[in-house]
Amino acid sequence: MVSIRAVDVTKRFGQVVALDHVNLEIRQGEFFTLLGPSGCGKTTFLRTIAGFELVDEGRIYFDEEDVTYVPPHKRDTGMVFQNYALWPHMTVYDNIAYGLRVRKLPRDEIDRRVKWALKLVHMEGFERRRPHQLSGGQQQRVALARALVIHPRVLLLDEPLSNLDAKLRIEMRSEIRRLQRELGITTIYVTHDQEEALAISDRIAVMSGGRVMQVGPPEEIYLRPANRFVADFIGRGTFLEGRVLETDHELVVELESGLGTVRGVPSRSDRRISVGERVLVAIRPESFTVAGSEGYNAFDVVVRNISFVGSVKRVEAEAGEKLFIIDIPVEYDVSIGGSLRVYVKPSRTIVIPLE
Amino acid sequence: MIRLSIGGEGLSRLIRELRWRMDPLNWVQLASILILFTLFLILPIFSIIVNAFLYGGAPSLAWFEKILSDPYYMPWGGVDLSFYEVIESTLPDGSRRVIIYIDGFDLGVIPNSFMVATLTTIFSSIIGFTLAFLFARYRFPFSEPLRILMLTPLLSTPFVGAIGIKKMISPDGFVNTVLVDIIPILPFRIEITGLAAVIMVQTLLFYPIVFLNVYTALLNIDPSQEEQAENLGAKGFYLFRTVTLPLALPGLEAGALLVFILSIEDLGTPLVFRGTNADKLMTVAIFRRLFAPTGDIQGEATALSFILLIISLGVFLAVRRYISLRKYAMLGKGGIWRRRLGSIPVPILPAIYVGLILFLFIALLPHIGVTLMAFAQDWPVGSILPSGYTLRNFEALFMDPGVSRNIFNSLVYSVVAMILITIIGVSSAYIVSRIRVPGIDLLDALVTMPIAIPGIIVATGYFLTFLGTPLNPIEWGAPLLIAAYTVRKFPFGVRTFFAGLEQVDKALEEAAINVGASRTRVFFTITIPLILMNILAGSMLAFIYSMSEVSTSIVVGDANHNDAPMTWKMYDIMFKGFGGTFQAAAMGFILMSLQFLMILGSNLILRRRATALISL
Repeated sequence: MVSIRAVDVTKRFGQVVALDHVNLEIRQGEFFTLLGPSGCGKTTFLRTIAGFELVDEGRIYFDEEDVTYVPPHKRDTGMVFQNYALWPHMTVYDNIAYGLRVRKLPRDEIDRRVKWALKLVHMEGFERRRPHQLSGGQQQRVALARALVIHPRVLLLDEPLSNLDAKLRIEMRSEIRRLQRELGITTIYVTHDQEEALAISDRIAVMSGGRVMQVGPPEEIYLRPANRFVADFIGRGTFLEGRVLETDHELVVELESGLGTVRGVPSRSDRRISVGERVLVAIRPESFTVAGSEGYNAFDVVVRNISFVGSVKRVEAEAGEKLFIIDIPVEYDVSIGGSLRVYVKPSRTIVIPLE
Repeated sequence: MIRLSIGGEGLSRLIRELRWRMDPLNWVQLASILILFTLFLILPIFSIIVNAFLYGGAPSLAWFEKILSDPYYMPWGGVDLSFYEVIESTLPDGSRRVIIYIDGFDLGVIPNSFMVATLTTIFSSIIGFTLAFLFARYRFPFSEPLRILMLTPLLSTPFVGAIGIKKMISPDGFVNTVLVDIIPILPFRIEITGLAAVIMVQTLLFYPIVFLNVYTALLNIDPSQEEQAENLGAKGFYLFRTVTLPLALPGLEAGALLVFILSIEDLGTPLVFRGTNADKLMTVAIFRRLFAPTGDIQGEATALSFILLIISLGVFLAVRRYISLRKYAMLGKGGIWRRRLGSIPVPILPAIYVGLILFLFIALLPHIGVTLMAFAQDWPVGSILPSGYTLRNFEALFMDPGVSRNIFNSLVYSVVAMILITIIGVSSAYIVSRIRVPGIDLLDALVTMPIAIPGIIVATGYFLTFLGTPLNPIEWGAPLLIAAYTVRKFPFGVRTFFAGLEQVDKALEEAAINVGASRTRVFFTITIPLILMNILAGSMLAFIYSMSEVSTSIVVGDANHNDAPMTWKMYDIMFKGFGGTFQAAAMGFILMSLQFLMILGSNLILRRRATALISL
């Protein structure tokens, strides 16, 4: 189990910059997720850790060891590929034993460890099967066993759940998390599914255009997005531009489009916001409540669309030509074209500097 | 296409990248490819170029001036546009007999080569495309066996086939006898000969190449694309012209290109029609003028080789995107869709069958002809079929101790070439497919280039390069013939290997590297087992094509009879020895049988997959 440090890692493919001076530190035993839209560089970063891509600039350390130029087969990483990459010409047993045979372990040691790995992923009894005789979820388990059996220094998971159906995905997700906790193995997990990332991770790095936009625990990423990209990519929200009036006690922001002023909290502790600065105010749908008598942080909106999403009613509404996304209790009666007064607490009104 | 703009910093990065990407095994693979191609392709071509621009030892354009101003080579003497001749004669019994000889226009050697290749390409494309569309889109009783039969000409060589077809279409041969004497449709006999015969024979031998390429391309069209067009109101010919044809075009272009090059480099077919204007083709002209009486290579031949090289390389480069490995792999993927199959209206069905069977008969004329001749006791003038059947031709053939030696030579050379193509070919396919470093496109170009280098040029280059070295073909023919087969048939093997590699998910190899295996170990334990079928298919192709190689075989064989392969012996028997065409046909029959056995054997190993893999 190691910690991993990427220092100023840059990778280009021709003219395209896939990784742009990425600095990340992944702690020992941590479940760390790289989250971002396709093409953001998250898979490329994972592949530089595995050693499949040679970085153009920067360094990669496993603990204190510089592995930047260590070839992939000498890195001792265990990777699970998006499509599992099980070898069709080998049985389940041979798939798992491959890495142990490469290491020239004695036969009984190999047998012992393959059995251990199969038990770990609840696949005992499948030794003689071929990959094509397994379901997607079973293939996933074998791929996990194959990666774990060599006792890798770090476990790398490249969108491992994207080929599974929705229900199985949630099942495997907790399975992976359970295994990771049990083994205490440092894990890097790549996904574009923000819900999955929030559910499974110790910490998340949100990436875009080859750069790291924000690193933090799930709650922080969700509740305190550092910039517009993160706020927009993680969950839905209402975004309003404005200018800071006061910074004394609470932040007071004068909104554009004649929406008045709101009180809020800064998204980041590492950057002071000053009076007169242009900012973005972000509000999560569930942060709204239907207003009572509050005189501030309230908006009168006109309902444009209503969708029932199970636990709540999601209302798309409009005020000052801005789109509001508001979750309201299912039993609350609203109709399209009707008006609604909503309120948001200052502590849930996030003020993001616009740079 | 090639990214090789390297500064100092770029160079060090390139070296770092190369060291990162390549195992010692990969360096050995790369070195073996480069040595093979430098020694046996680049160097010989280079020596032709140098030699062509030398006159009396000094740099000069004299040979080109001589060739380009000579009415024999170029149409300066005016062009005779009559392409047939009517000859009337009175037979001893007093009856009149009319024969129309069709031999095509004669425009001079250089335009002739171009014309023959172009017309062969056009005819092959029309036939190949029609058949491909019919078999890809319609299902009718016996369509599958008919489709496979339509591909049989692939197994022959122009040299073997031409012998058979020449006999069948002679004025007293099968076709004329049937059409004039038995069911008198024609009032006169027609003999197709000279350049016209070359075009006809080549078309019959090469149309399957277009057929296969277009057929695969049609199977690769996602049916929903045509369904979408229909959904928007397109139908019939409009749908075909706007959607189907453009999507099948890459297959047509790849096939047509190959036919053009195979036609322009063909030496075997024109040689069968020697003594007519078929002699006025570039390959024959080079072959005839190769050696001066002193035994030296003549400048006129090398200059002519250079011109031929420019034409074929020009065509190759112009359409290279269709035959580079990458493009081929895309074409080569078998149809994975639910096919759109129509059925032919019952009233038209008989017409389709009659047409197909008639065509099949014409397409198989070469094979039928060779087989009949091989077993013929005698084939008297005016008789449709031989007067009797016998094994005497074979007995007579093997009285010549040279024959079994030549057959043995062919087998040895082809097996060695097959092994080399397999080992080095799999290596190059692997490097082009997997080691993505700048400049790898050059390697792709290098290993597919032999398609575009006429055999006669390879042979000429070998004599220029290796006379007086330990590899002197006059002293020892084996090494250079093996080298010629290896280099010339390399692209066909390597494409099959490459297509296999491209179908293997790279993650399968990365997963093995990830758990600690070196690239070398991955290559042998993961990659090779996964593409085994393609390796077998590619090796088999390499063997079959090596056995039937004509041009390098007869040039080297002429200089060293002892080490000559069987294709040379066929040529030798036909024109120089006793027994003539009947024994040559017997030899051709042996060659066809060997190829057929090879196909049968690998079919048993590969099962159904064989037909999908064996394509040009």
